[in-house]
Amino acid sequence: MPQATSDVLDTIVRAETPEGILLELRPAGLTARAYAFGIDALARLGIVYAASTVGVIFGGLRPAFLLILLFGLEWLYPVVFELALRGATPGKRALGLKVVMDNGLPITPAASFTRNLLRAADFLPLLYGFAILGMLTRRDFKRLGDIAAATLVVHQPRTAPKPVLEQLPPLAPAITVAPRDQAAVIALAARAPRLTAARLDELAALAAAVTGDAGRTGPEVTRRILAAGQWFLGRR
Amino acid sequence: MTPLQFERENQDGWEELQRLLRDVHSSRTASAVAAVDGARVAALYRRACGNLALARSRSYPAYLVDRLEQMTADAHQVIYRRRELGLTRLRHLLAIDIPTAVRAHAVYVWVAAAVLTVPAAILGLLVYARPELILSLVDAPTAASYHEMYSSTAQSIGRPGGAQGDWAMFAFYIRNNVGIAFQCFAGGLFAGVGSLFYLAYNGALIGGIAGYLTQRGLGPTFYSFVVTHSAFELTAIVLAGAAGLRLGHALLAPGRQRRGAALVDAARGSVVVVYGAATLLVIAAAIEAFWSSAAWLPLPLKYSVAALCWVVVVCYLTLQGRHAG
Repeated sequence: MPQATSDVLDTIVRAETPEGILLELRPAGLTARAYAFGIDALARLGIVYAASTVGVIFGGLRPAFLLILLFGLEWLYPVVFELALRGATPGKRALGLKVVMDNGLPITPAASFTRNLLRAADFLPLLYGFAILGMLTRRDFKRLGDIAAATLVVHQPRTAPKPVLEQLPPLAPAITVAPRDQAAVIALAARAPRLTAARLDELAALAAAVTGDAGRTGPEVTRRILAAGQWFLGRR
Repeated sequence: MTPLQFERENQDGWEELQRLLRDVHSSRTASAVAAVDGARVAALYRRACGNLALARSRSYPAYLVDRLEQMTADAHQVIYRRRELGLTRLRHLLAIDIPTAVRAHAVYVWVAAAVLTVPAAILGLLVYARPELILSLVDAPTAASYHEMYSSTAQSIGRPGGAQGDWAMFAFYIRNNVGIAFQCFAGGLFAGVGSLFYLAYNGALIGGIAGYLTQRGLGPTFYSFVVTHSAFELTAIVLAGAAGLRLGHALLAPGRQRRGAALVDAARGSVVVVYGAATLLVIAAAIEAFWSSAAWLPLPLKYSVAALCWVVVVCYLTLQGRHAG
């Protein structure tokens, strides 16, 4: 990738595929993961509560049934969901998170077991202390289990809607514009509907040189910049 | 080429790829997945990768790059997905992978076994010589409850009160023992100290209680109770501890790798040993709940079955799967 984005302040992890492209993974931080954990905890609580009610039909076997269920919820709940539901427990799914391998591939059973068994270490010294420490100190927000299993908890990419650009007659730029700057003007045009008029004018003024309006500002300049955006996109 | 031209030219391929990916995601069975034309997916995926590289280098607008990024990421997941679940895989794991992995960790297994048994032997002899020392291991009510559990008058041996059924005890043993084993494994992350601690602590506890009960003359009941399932249970704890020691060793002496990479390698190998430990623990819990506790079984029978179990476990770990390439 010729465009050096590594200097941008970001937590993106890049994974190269065999096809030679870089997948961009966005690791999820402590807050999102804590919420997901909370939702999962409530889900587990709900299951235990429901089971202890339904468990009556097991009669004398009820305590055994409940204990085995507790064991399953304690150790296997995350493993089962991560393997069966494409890498996300219900809590993670609700927050739009999923677990993948470091190289962006789906999580393997061995990795899922490793990261979830090592919870026993992450849990220490109390209240997931080491997990929190790991997430707060590492760029990629890994807890100990993630480090050993080579997994990442990432934000699932959200589908960005195709921007609907206001239909303006395209305007040829007054100067030669580098591809990167063209992209910036197009991005500004795409964001235009979500910005206030004053802010839009302010931002457009930065690109005023494109249409030969350097140093000027106002709705007219903005309109011309947006029109140049249409041109860059390929409308003639 | 302008972004719009680029989009128009490649649109059809992208839409077809997205449709095929949706088909894969929505199909529930393996045969439904197989019905999707894999070669076509791969070809379209490679083309989308090329498009993405172009779009990035030409700084095409974000919506185009985003769309291509998502498409390729999704296809990448589908194409390189590894199917590791299933009965064939499970059989291979039990028949070959687990015993092979245990033998590959032989040194760690011996160290873990020593760390468990040496404190057990020392504490056992100490408590046998001076029974009051048991109180430095457990508190008085606990010691008393052990005494009651293994007294010769107990209906079913080895369980407090005897009010709960076999199934409840099975569940209790699973939860308790698997917890101990997983702690032994996870403790390895602290440079192995955690594993050593849990192994030695559990060894000391087991030895102390054995010494105490023997001194009290409850030896026959106690040993006939523990001898069968301990073949699986103690082995499992040793295996889990050995897996933990491997993690700790990788952290302390990563060799020519970075510590992180060494840890990942170690975890990948040793988690197979933990699978073995977990399997043995489930067997141990079943035996402990349904067989060991039965007071009416004649002692010779119990001891013969126990000897058989030990032989089976040792043979499984040392001989099974050694010819598999």
